[in-house]
Amino acid sequence: MSMISFIKESIFAEEYAVKKGLLQTIDPRFKALAIFALVISVMFLKNTLLILSIYSACLFLTYLSRINIVFFLKRTWVFIPIFSLFIAIPALFNVFSPGQEIFSLDLLGLKLIITKQGLDGAVLFISRVITSVSLVVLFTLVTKHNQILKVLRIFGIPQIFVMTFGMCYRYIFLFIEVITDTYIAIKSRSGFVISAGKGQKLVAGNIANLWQRSYLMHNQVYHAMLSRGYAGEPKLLKDLSFVLRDWIFLIVSSILIIFILWKSQYLS
Amino acid sequence: MEKPIFELKDIYFSYLGRFPGLNNLNLSIFKGSKIVLMGANGSGKSTLLSLLDAIIFPDKGKIDFLGNELRESTFNDEIFTHDFRSKVGFVFQNPDIQLFCPTVKEDITFGPLQLGISASDIKNRLDRLVSIFHIEHLLERAPYQLSIGEKKKVALASVLAIDTEVLLLDEPTAGLDPQTTRNIIDIILEENQAGKTIITATHDLHIVEEISDIIHVFGPQKNIIRSDQPSRVLSDDQFLRENNLVHIHRHKHGDKVHVHAHRHLEHHNDHNN
Repeated sequence: MSMISFIKESIFAEEYAVKKGLLQTIDPRFKALAIFALVISVMFLKNTLLILSIYSACLFLTYLSRINIVFFLKRTWVFIPIFSLFIAIPALFNVFSPGQEIFSLDLLGLKLIITKQGLDGAVLFISRVITSVSLVVLFTLVTKHNQILKVLRIFGIPQIFVMTFGMCYRYIFLFIEVITDTYIAIKSRSGFVISAGKGQKLVAGNIANLWQRSYLMHNQVYHAMLSRGYAGEPKLLKDLSFVLRDWIFLIVSSILIIFILWKSQYLS
Repeated sequence: MEKPIFELKDIYFSYLGRFPGLNNLNLSIFKGSKIVLMGANGSGKSTLLSLLDAIIFPDKGKIDFLGNELRESTFNDEIFTHDFRSKVGFVFQNPDIQLFCPTVKEDITFGPLQLGISASDIKNRLDRLVSIFHIEHLLERAPYQLSIGEKKKVALASVLAIDTEVLLLDEPTAGLDPQTTRNIIDIILEENQAGKTIITATHDLHIVEEISDIIHVFGPQKNIIRSDQPSRVLSDDQFLRENNLVHIHRHKHGDKVHVHAHRHLEHHNDHNN
């Protein structure tokens, strides 16, 4: 149940997207372009200080968008071990990054040396990961999910895919409700303790049941689409429009990115 | 003599070729009429609505819509398909099936967009429906965030947005509170007064008389066993009981325990007199 609650909270909660902060008022297409450009810049930057300055700007934008900073840091730093544990830690040592010794340790008779080059590389890598992850998480937090789907269109993704993504997203919630209800129904009849074998049978049965339901629903939804005139090529609503604030945001973001890239060349 | 919009002759339909859904059904539906389909669960009401909306097709028999036979192959003709979908709208029983778009606004505009309605017309229709259903605050919300009553309203709005001549409604008030039910019935009646043909499948005896000129009752053999005026069907207690269409109430009047079929308040007035 806690897993389902986590999924619901992380995928479906739009608590921050509906707040009246800075980024929430910007057109999602411009936000996506700016964030995309920043992430690309971070990938090419080799100066840790410049990357960390982008990270600081990201945190400042988070604050201006009325997002709880502690919540944001928790949400973003949770990804760091996943992405960087197996890459950044080995890179610290002389085995992968030979160079100037900073610290050495003796591990089961094996002498491992942390080098300056290794440390610099690991810090650069982690700062790239945390900045990129933070930018993307910030974008998803301040943008409603249906608007994120619309943004896909500016990257040339066909409408049929956009519509399919939207429908998947919409029905995942429905099936989460089905799973929750089924789980409660099982619990109400069987109590808390179920043997492993019986538990496996229940899970397998529920997976099969869910599959059948989703298959049936797929047919019914298709009929509902046909009934309202769908003829194989969906036509979707275009209800986004730019205002002056969006253009200002785009221009400021572009100037910032160009400045960082120029500074990066100067520093190197 | 006026020609029917729909004419069904000797219809037989089965699910998976094995399980009968409708059997030997004959029916004519005329423009501007209010029709109610009644029957126990599984008697074929929803199947008939699906056939009328041409999302399924009969195994045997013939359905004509304005003189054109509805077959699967008929819908290879884009012009006919566009014309048919612009004239016939279907509100499904389960609004979760009907509302498949990311937001309420997109769901309401989905039909008109597919049918090539101009942007200004779509906006006018949306504004009108928003004002009728009082759903402005729901427009940017996702369908899964709505209550069942709100979902039913939006599902109806999404079909009314197409402005069809025929409305097929499958249990439009099932599971709704009295206020929302009243709201939806009023909207259905207004649409009928504007000339639309309304065909409703329902169990709700409270609303039947208001939304029908004629009731077709389905029997266990999945055919129509009676077509009659609503007042005559609703006053025939024995017929309603035999066909599982009436609630049996057991309650007290003073010290006396009293059992009777569910009817409206006039029954209690009779009892007091």
